[in-house]
Amino acid sequence: MSELYVVFKVDDGEYVLQAADVLQMESFGGATKVPGTPPYVAGLIHIRGRVVPVIDVRRRFGLSSIEPTLDSRVIVVQSGERTVGLLVDSAREIMRIPPEGLQAPPAWMGGDGAGFVRSVAHVERGPGEKRLVMLVNFEKIIGQEGIYGDERNG
Amino acid sequence: MGNAFDASEFLAGFLVEAEEHLSASTTNLLAVETSLRKGENNPRAVRELFRSLHTIKGLSAMVGIEPIVDVAHAMETVLRKADRAAGALSTNAFEALLAGLRAIGERVRALSTSAPVAPAPPQLLDALAALEITQDASPATVELVLDAGLSAKLSATEKAQLLQGAESGRRALRVDFVPSPARAAEGTTITSVRERIGAFAEIVKVVPLSIPASDTAPGGLAFALLVLTDATNEALAAAAATQPEHVQVLHTRRVDGADPLAEPEAAEEDVGEGRKRGIVRVEVARLDDALERLSALVITRFRLARAVDALAAQGVNVGELGEIVKGYGRQVRDLRGAIMRARMVPVAELLDRVPLIVRGLSRATKKPVRVVIDAGKAELDKAVADRVFPAIVHLIRNAVDHAIESPAERRRLGKPEEGLVRVTCFERSTNQLELGISDDGRGIDREAVAHRASRPVPADDAGLLDLITLPGLTTLDHATKTSGRGLGMDIVKRAVVELGGELSLGTTPGAGTTFTLCIPLTITIVDAFSFVCGEQTFVAPVAAIEEVVEVVPEALVRGPSRHTRFGEVRFMERRGEIVPLVNLASVFSLASREEPKALVVRRNGAALAFGIQRMVGQQEVVIRPLEDPLVKVTGVSGSTDLGDGRPTLVLDLVALSGALSQNRTEVPV
Repeated sequence: MSELYVVFKVDDGEYVLQAADVLQMESFGGATKVPGTPPYVAGLIHIRGRVVPVIDVRRRFGLSSIEPTLDSRVIVVQSGERTVGLLVDSAREIMRIPPEGLQAPPAWMGGDGAGFVRSVAHVERGPGEKRLVMLVNFEKIIGQEGIYGDERNG
Repeated sequence: MGNAFDASEFLAGFLVEAEEHLSASTTNLLAVETSLRKGENNPRAVRELFRSLHTIKGLSAMVGIEPIVDVAHAMETVLRKADRAAGALSTNAFEALLAGLRAIGERVRALSTSAPVAPAPPQLLDALAALEITQDASPATVELVLDAGLSAKLSATEKAQLLQGAESGRRALRVDFVPSPARAAEGTTITSVRERIGAFAEIVKVVPLSIPASDTAPGGLAFALLVLTDATNEALAAAAATQPEHVQVLHTRRVDGADPLAEPEAAEEDVGEGRKRGIVRVEVARLDDALERLSALVITRFRLARAVDALAAQGVNVGELGEIVKGYGRQVRDLRGAIMRARMVPVAELLDRVPLIVRGLSRATKKPVRVVIDAGKAELDKAVADRVFPAIVHLIRNAVDHAIESPAERRRLGKPEEGLVRVTCFERSTNQLELGISDDGRGIDREAVAHRASRPVPADDAGLLDLITLPGLTTLDHATKTSGRGLGMDIVKRAVVELGGELSLGTTPGAGTTFTLCIPLTITIVDAFSFVCGEQTFVAPVAAIEEVVEVVPEALVRGPSRHTRFGEVRFMERRGEIVPLVNLASVFSLASREEPKALVVRRNGAALAFGIQRMVGQQEVVIRPLEDPLVKVTGVSGSTDLGDGRPTLVLDLVALSGALSQNRTEVPV
């Protein structure tokens, strides 16, 4: 059974996330900076009564940040107990990818050791035209692995 | 602080206690009304009411709030009479007492907002005093109602016995037993009935009566048992093998205007009993203090874990130690849960006052309205409860006032004349409560609202909600008596959002509207200063700040080796003490380094001043903890919403000063 994915753009790359993990997508009107956080943390936003940290995916991927545009989106993703927003250049497409369409990423892709790309897929763009989308490793992006594994439960 | 007598602290105590007694009084008065509708007395509720008012009077006298003393005194007098008359209260008396409770409530609320307290309304005092006179004029509050045949068969002593029993608060009842061979075969005879009833009632007399012979009464004989009891009609009827409807009350009062068929929902409202047993009243501040201390334990746990990890990294076998640290972590978590639970109040208790509010609104609007409350066993943090209640009241007001149609209109629409307001509540997930306020009224008209707001017609209910929560919008041309003023929908929305909750709406034209409030079960509220630093607004708890001072640049002293990773350290003199000053914007790597003001904090006896751009104000804020590890940084304890819809950071400057002093590495200039 093929699964639904949300497609988003960062710089020239097209990435996908499992739609089941996406809570909502919002346009981006700025975030409250939190001093002392890594540079890729864009800050905090309110979404439907919740305070959610937002990661600037450009900065996270080692690219330079850009001024938010009308296309900029925050994709709010839930992973376990954490809810984090990803600030991306645009996000407006949903697609189906059959499981067999996903394959391991080639070497050197996804920031090498960082492993931000979990797998890649070739999907039809139009008749006879294919494009490559990258399934991101959300846990890796939000830095799931902490120094003290159960810190958040203290 | 340090004063031997702090009036404001005393007043806080008074307010808490007065609110509690008012809430209990409301419950008891409602219980009285429920009984009244059944044609019964409720001496116990009357006595409780008397006690509560007596306490309110005493407390108010101590803090010198004369208007409350006056009203409570007048009410107390009425209740004392009623108590002596075994709990007898007329409908008029009930209404006057209700008005009295309202008057006291208004004055207590005025006190809590430091508003002037209005004098006792003279009409109210007159009305209460008038009740007293009527009762004085007719000292015989109870009269026996016996049919002539029966009356003739009773002696004067027996009648007096019934009368006295009724006056002392028990009920004088007649229940008929019709013997038959079939019943005798089941072992039910006048002897066994006598025994059964005797177990819970005082039998004054058993009168044999001759009745027309029928299938059920083949002998043409019945026994009328005249009893005094506290037991229910049901129990009595069961013992006499008959139906509860066949139990007759033998004395006056309550029977006037009572509808024997009315089966009021109010029975469910009689929940005050027993709930207060074994309860200790604790100031929320003390629980906060306990939580504060607990957070020190949490830090210790992290340090332990880190030390164990370090040992493990050196190749030490930490097996058991690791287990102990884990177990300790669990215990700390449980303890935190236990303290949080201590702050919870049952939602049912919060909603106690709702039936009374609906009753008042129903009267004011002349629309009969039934209220159904289903709060289950859900509990809510006291601080959240206090903040969300006004929003609930407002939504109920709107429902009765605007949504529910007039009885005539409802009849025309084929709806039951009596409108329905339903308040429901359940725990949605681990830390969220869903409160629903629905009515079966006319629904909200999208076009009308859009027209009113001069906006396009919204496509869905969410869009409609955005419209009706616009500041200042009202869908009625004329402000009505009950909900034309006070909170607007914008304030309801804001109250919910400030709590970190969410308001949603579902409405069907002609069928009704439901507002749903999703709110967190617990929150932390503090009094905080808001200020600007590096062009960004922050808040910091007032309690953590020792002083706000002016920074006089010429008076600052710079010492040698003053450059640190977080900027330059200067020193200022403050009442003989030398206090280091750091620029908060430079600590946070923010652009603007202006610092005409500074906030002084103290940690372990050492003062530190943080230079800031300007002070903005002081207000109570709801702190939402920042739980995500991405934004867990020293010095930032949470976030809040100052009303602009954006998160504002709550700073813990004491913790920040600790981190800075441990981290005071000097850097070359």
